[in-house]
Amino acid sequence: MNYKIAPEFTRRFFLKSSSIALAGGFTGAFAWDDVQAAAIKTFRLRAGMSPVALIPDAAVKTNAWCFDGTVPGPEIRVRQGERLRVAVENALDEETTVHWHGIRLPNPMDGVPHLTQPPISPGSAFTYEFDTLDAGTFWYHPHQRSFEQVGRGLYGPLIVEEQTPIRVDRDLTWILDDWRLARDGQISGDFGNMHDMSHNGRIGNTVTINGRVPETFSVRRGERIRLRLINAANARIFGIDFDKHKPVIIAIDGQPVAPHVPQDELIVLGPAMRIDVVIDMVGDVSQRFTLTDPFYRGLKYRLVDLVYADTPLRDRVPDWDMQLPANPLAEPDLNDAERHDVIFNGGMMGGMVMQELGGSMGHELMGAMGSMRGMMHSGKIWFINGVAAEGHIMEPMLRLVHGRSHIVSMTNATAWHHPIHFHGHSFRVLSRNGNPTAHKEWQDTVLMAPKERIEIAFVADNPGDWMFHCHILEHQAAGMMGVIRVTQPGERT
Amino acid sequence: MIRSIVTALLLAFAAVISTTVAAGEKPAATLYKNPQCGCCEGYAEYLRANGYSVDVKPTHELTPMSRAAGIPDDFQGCHLTYIDNYVVSGHVPVETVNRLLSERPAIKGITLPGMPMGSPGMNGVKQGPFTIYTIGSDQPTVYATE
Repeated sequence: MNYKIAPEFTRRFFLKSSSIALAGGFTGAFAWDDVQAAAIKTFRLRAGMSPVALIPDAAVKTNAWCFDGTVPGPEIRVRQGERLRVAVENALDEETTVHWHGIRLPNPMDGVPHLTQPPISPGSAFTYEFDTLDAGTFWYHPHQRSFEQVGRGLYGPLIVEEQTPIRVDRDLTWILDDWRLARDGQISGDFGNMHDMSHNGRIGNTVTINGRVPETFSVRRGERIRLRLINAANARIFGIDFDKHKPVIIAIDGQPVAPHVPQDELIVLGPAMRIDVVIDMVGDVSQRFTLTDPFYRGLKYRLVDLVYADTPLRDRVPDWDMQLPANPLAEPDLNDAERHDVIFNGGMMGGMVMQELGGSMGHELMGAMGSMRGMMHSGKIWFINGVAAEGHIMEPMLRLVHGRSHIVSMTNATAWHHPIHFHGHSFRVLSRNGNPTAHKEWQDTVLMAPKERIEIAFVADNPGDWMFHCHILEHQAAGMMGVIRVTQPGERT
Repeated sequence: MIRSIVTALLLAFAAVISTTVAAGEKPAATLYKNPQCGCCEGYAEYLRANGYSVDVKPTHELTPMSRAAGIPDDFQGCHLTYIDNYVVSGHVPVETVNRLLSERPAIKGITLPGMPMGSPGMNGVKQGPFTIYTIGSDQPTVYATE
């Protein structure tokens, strides 16, 4: 069975394919070649350098690298099923690419330098074009030296609206980032230093929402807001406490999930993750609440204040349905899936964790790691199945038969968190440390705690060589990256 | 002659410093660490067991702080301890810390780069001698080998 978005693409067709996916019968291939779109939305993005107003001091402009002169870059917003065409011009002094994070697209449009396209040289341009199969919250950023390019501000939101969105009063995007600013308000140039690479990445000292250090955010009593949270930081994990408000998660990494309030009512986003929440403004008129981020112990800070207007929007919170329509994802067949094991190791204290986890790690891997300091000086700090990447071109770590279901068991044999991102697919998170997840959530970037074991499952339905890497960009640069090959339809591994 | 004057001056200086500390007590230390790094807590405990009072403060700023303290990137330890106007970077054994504070050389401090296995606060078995470097000059020199 082929899945394609035909010119006569209609909502009805879409609902039909969604219901097939839900029933578990959808295991077919995409046919990208003969896709013709009813509507093409055209955009232009220019990557360059520009002063931006990040901090409240109006006299200080921070020299950023960004798209179209703003941080974040312009919000690209289309309706599900529309075809997207984006011409990217490179006005930087170095090569770049744009990766469309989390959205399923054909391999040549994935924006990985050398692997899926030649990098865009300074003064050149590249046009990306693909159909938007899935509705949801996605984002775009370079994949070339991303630890510096993203860190200096090259990113923006990509929002694909549902054909029939849920009802809310406001649909807002908050793209979160943190910056390491020096006293003069300029970006500290210490990208890729040894401490950041070998510990938990480059964590900054200045947090921004949509490119500004936030002060207050105005709301009204009774208002319902859909908040699309995107973590664009190199390394910071956000954990947002909405004070008196209960955030209801309705989508993770763009993919709908059964609406639920998370544990401790804390919204935790690893780097590159997205979470859509619905928040009902249950406070009283003129009240003020402080949103905080207590994720890192002893370093809790105020994110922004919610300020209620003097007049309510309505007196009671609405009872509108929050369930988003499913995206047309192929349901993995867990009874007929190929199994694969992936082990992450390395980093500071990596040797200690390996010793603790002991025999299960195997002596071969221990041997491959060699002496920690020796490796660190060669820039190889993090390993996937014993291999540290030196670039985007490498032997595939896994070869997956096209159209088959796969279960990947991942072990984080390190002392640090890792948000693991797989390109070109969304996967179900089946279990954590052997315990089934409550919602079997679809994700493209799953945050692994130290020593955690996670099982994911997906249908390998998108042919090509896809990156599989840690989205703490310093970890990625220091080796924590691999290639997973999905064979062409009919091809053997 | 000159050496003895220098020594006398240093001793006098040390005497002035030590007036702030009661006899037999060690000076207070402040240890800045990565909030997610466990073995830095182990080093704080080790210092406490050796008579120091230690205030542990998590920070995301270790790289800028280490650079401000004059430690080249390749020589950084995984945490920073400020004691008695000196900076001690990484898992430096207490004998070397005590020597630093008693000799009071004209340097900013000392560093044990990385997180060697078997060093104080770290698990594992010592793989070889620990080389501790001085901080303060352009190029670190060896201060001690343990």
